Amino acid sequence: MANKTKQAGKGISLNTRNTMVGLSFILPNFIGFCLFTLVPVVFSFILSFMKWDGFTQMEFAGFQNFVKIFGEKRFLDSLGHTFYFAFFTVIFSMAAALGLALLLNRKLKCVNFFRSSIFFPYVASIVAVSCVWKAMFMEDGGVINGALQMLGVAEDMLPGWIASTKWAMPAVIIVSVWRNMGYFMIIYLAALQDIPHSLYEAAEIDGASKWRQFVRITFPMLTPSHFFVFMMLTINSFKTFDMVFLLTEGGPGTATQLLSMYVYNKGFISWDYGVTSAASMVLFLIVATITILQFRVEKKFNDFM
Amino acid sequence: MKMKRIAAVGLTTVMTASMLAGCGGGASNSDKGNDSNGGSADGKTTLKVSIWDSTNNPADLEAINAFQAANPDIKIDLIDIPSNDYNTKLNTMLNGGSPLDVIFVKQADSLKNFYDKGQLLDITQYVKDANIDLANYNGTAENFSFDGKQVALPVRTDYYVLYYNKDIFDAKGIEYPSNDMTWKEFEDLAAQLTGDGNYGAYMHTWQAMAWNWGIQDGKNTIMSYKDGYTFAKPYYEMLLRMQDAGSIQTYGQLKSGNIHYSGAFAQGNVAMMPMGTWFMGMIQGKIASGEANMKWGIATLPHPEGVEAGYTMGASTPLAINAKTKAPDAAWRFVEFMTGKEGAEIYAKKGYIPALSDENTIKTVASNEGMPEGSEEALQVKNIVPDRPIKDHVGEVDQILGEQHSMIMLGESTVDEGLAEITKQVKEVLE
Amino acid sequence: MIEKKQSPIITTAIYVMLILLTVLTLLPLVWMFSASLKLDSEVFTVPIKWIPETFHWDNYLKVWQKIDFATFSFNSIKLTILITLIQVITCSFASYGFSKCKFKGRDTLFLCYVATIAIPWQTYMLPQYSLMRMLGGVDNHWGYVALQAFSAFGVFLLRQFYQSIPNELLEAARIDGLSEYGIYARIVLPLAKPALTTLTIFTFVTAWNDFMGPMIYFNTESLKTIPLGIRMFLGQYSTSYELIMAASMMSLLPVFALYIPCQRFFVQGVATSGLKG
Repeated sequence: MANKTKQAGKGISLNTRNTMVGLSFILPNFIGFCLFTLVPVVFSFILSFMKWDGFTQMEFAGFQNFVKIFGEKRFLDSLGHTFYFAFFTVIFSMAAALGLALLLNRKLKCVNFFRSSIFFPYVASIVAVSCVWKAMFMEDGGVINGALQMLGVAEDMLPGWIASTKWAMPAVIIVSVWRNMGYFMIIYLAALQDIPHSLYEAAEIDGASKWRQFVRITFPMLTPSHFFVFMMLTINSFKTFDMVFLLTEGGPGTATQLLSMYVYNKGFISWDYGVTSAASMVLFLIVATITILQFRVEKKFNDFM
Repeated sequence: MKMKRIAAVGLTTVMTASMLAGCGGGASNSDKGNDSNGGSADGKTTLKVSIWDSTNNPADLEAINAFQAANPDIKIDLIDIPSNDYNTKLNTMLNGGSPLDVIFVKQADSLKNFYDKGQLLDITQYVKDANIDLANYNGTAENFSFDGKQVALPVRTDYYVLYYNKDIFDAKGIEYPSNDMTWKEFEDLAAQLTGDGNYGAYMHTWQAMAWNWGIQDGKNTIMSYKDGYTFAKPYYEMLLRMQDAGSIQTYGQLKSGNIHYSGAFAQGNVAMMPMGTWFMGMIQGKIASGEANMKWGIATLPHPEGVEAGYTMGASTPLAINAKTKAPDAAWRFVEFMTGKEGAEIYAKKGYIPALSDENTIKTVASNEGMPEGSEEALQVKNIVPDRPIKDHVGEVDQILGEQHSMIMLGESTVDEGLAEITKQVKEVLE
Repeated sequence: MIEKKQSPIITTAIYVMLILLTVLTLLPLVWMFSASLKLDSEVFTVPIKWIPETFHWDNYLKVWQKIDFATFSFNSIKLTILITLIQVITCSFASYGFSKCKFKGRDTLFLCYVATIAIPWQTYMLPQYSLMRMLGGVDNHWGYVALQAFSAFGVFLLRQFYQSIPNELLEAARIDGLSEYGIYARIVLPLAKPALTTLTIFTFVTAWNDFMGPMIYFNTESLKTIPLGIRMFLGQYSTSYELIMAASMMSLLPVFALYIPCQRFFVQGVATSGLKG
């Protein structure tokens, strides 16, 4: 869509002028960004081909670091966990955020109170919140299992949550959806209000059901938001560290060890910055691929619209 | 227009290159600090000292203040770091070349790593000039010497003892634990004390609660994987038995309940708790502030069958000087004070065991107001085994132990499976 | 808003559902609040007591006594506001350049931004620190602000939004003789209010809760922020959960002071149905 109008063939002076104007917009941010983020990132990119302990002289290692990590079970496991975590976090957060936005996009008493309440988890201190969730997930006597028992779940069927390898990841995903949904609900809310009212009126006249209206109007009209929310959630879930670390420390065993923790441990316990950087490059490639795919699909979609 | 792009790329390249030079060459100029001996003649010399959780540790602060009072020309600038993040921040600071003069090393085993990277000042000559007899540190100072270079001196030494709640023993009419007790006897005693809402013992969530007793005889370390770590097996079995019998709170409960051992003991429903000597100061503080209300006592740590009583595990806190310090002389004076007689006295009076100790030290510690009767006998030790050897890759091994510890304690894998997994992973790391 | 007369049954059902969801969402926070009024030893009792036996309001006072909460709050507020302002202003500027100006090398530059988004901070934390130290940005506020204020994420976020603004609108303005700066200020900015609000909240909350950055960069006590203060209660020698909870409750207030006026933006400011969805 951005490429629809080309200003070709207007001479160099115009081109130069355009460049100057464009750069003048970009530079204030770019200088800071380049200096404080890009340079260190480029440095770590170089590091992924080096052997370095963070202090002494570094040596060129070629692709050794990459060979090393792909031969390591710990790395492959954490890669798997990261996908598991990111996939469900993204899906459920999107669903929860959209659902809540639909519920709250109407004239209701105390609507602001409801909206604020849902947003609350996003803001709360992560240290405090993870202590609380840990206690709620307690196997015997925890609030969650207590509630499940009341709903009739048999005692030996109760999940062990963060104390079991099988349930630790779902527990972590629940907390992260809980934390995310408020923020993304707001994004959906803003978008919902952009949908022209006339569309619904027309549908109403045609006698379309609520569900049909949602499928035919609301959901497709929200497409740019879907893309946006999806992207933001994907990037953030692939980088999640703090919350999972505070909840489970990657455990039990390595059941919830994510790639970001692997990266951290390699850097600060094993002093292997080459491997650290190589692992991050893998993470980068994954997210970059998703981003590019997303752009492609979005572009196609927009052209289609 | 292309120029801008090239300029941007060029700028990035130059910056990156200069960083590579700045970071990579770190080791080569690590001895520079020595050139500026006594450089700051006029005015005060400021020493930046890194420490963790100092707000909660009055002994450190008092010793540091005493040093400043005795050396008015030196000002100590404390960098207080949360304990959980101490190593991360310390490493960032050292690797990033931040000004830092003296380092309280939180885990003695990370010393080797700092040394390998050339980050520690060789203090051999200082030690020699000051006529310090390393033997007075009871064998702990020698651990901080690599390739014949002394790189740190120990400030405090902590070792494991057994704390108990006298009220629970009195209520049950059971005799207090003796200073010569095997782990089997400990387990039985815990079972007897359990009931009426009380737990016979408290075992914290650390992997040390199994591994330490395994290495108590001094024959193995956590690095000795050759025999498949069979030495830890009896203690895991003990922990699991105690968990099943209900004489300790389960690992899962402790973890999800965010339980801190000091709170657990202070609550008053735990009869016995093996814990380090640092807890003496903590429990006294809790009682003084009214948070805890009990009569407590100390006994010598239980020991494995066939090992003498008085064998225990412990660790010393090393005090080291950053190789890049601009004021090595002043830094040394600080280290000398803290690890010397004056520092030792202050620590002992505050209820902490200084590394520099003689027969009077334990007496001083035990005679503090608030210390229970009989602590002097209980604190006597025959041998202190370092809980973690100062070797390469200890951090990684420790992490593996921690991961599998949670698996075993939660019943996600059996003791044999867990130990086999540890053996396999440690082998990979070390070979 | 969907203004339609609904049957009272549906309305009631919606309310019941909302109340249920809100209660579920708020449960952990109610726990936090209740814990902030308890004794340390009561915080994690099983089964939990939602209402403490005695209300220890003095926990809130203790937070102020044990740590320098006033200084930490001041620092947190100062840093967060600075970071958010710089971030939102420079990002909204740059995003316009990236989405609506055409020049060579634009996409290459943007690629640089995208490339850094995916990389966890733990990876380049160390080189960034070395660089910052060389520039004199360690252990002072400006260094940390510089670090946080130019994140790639803001540019990425706003560019996405700007791209949904139809080019025809800008083209018309250009024909009317408006300069690019004029278009930015008069057309794009007003349209982008919801997006800017989104970014403001995101930046504000991220900066407000950031722990690792201040932990690594600040040494001096007088520079530290609230999250660092909260961690001081989670120490090696003791852990005071009731104080962690009390401090966390207090640290929520400023964010809400920002959120509530911002919320109006979403409801009122979005009368821009001319926007292509």
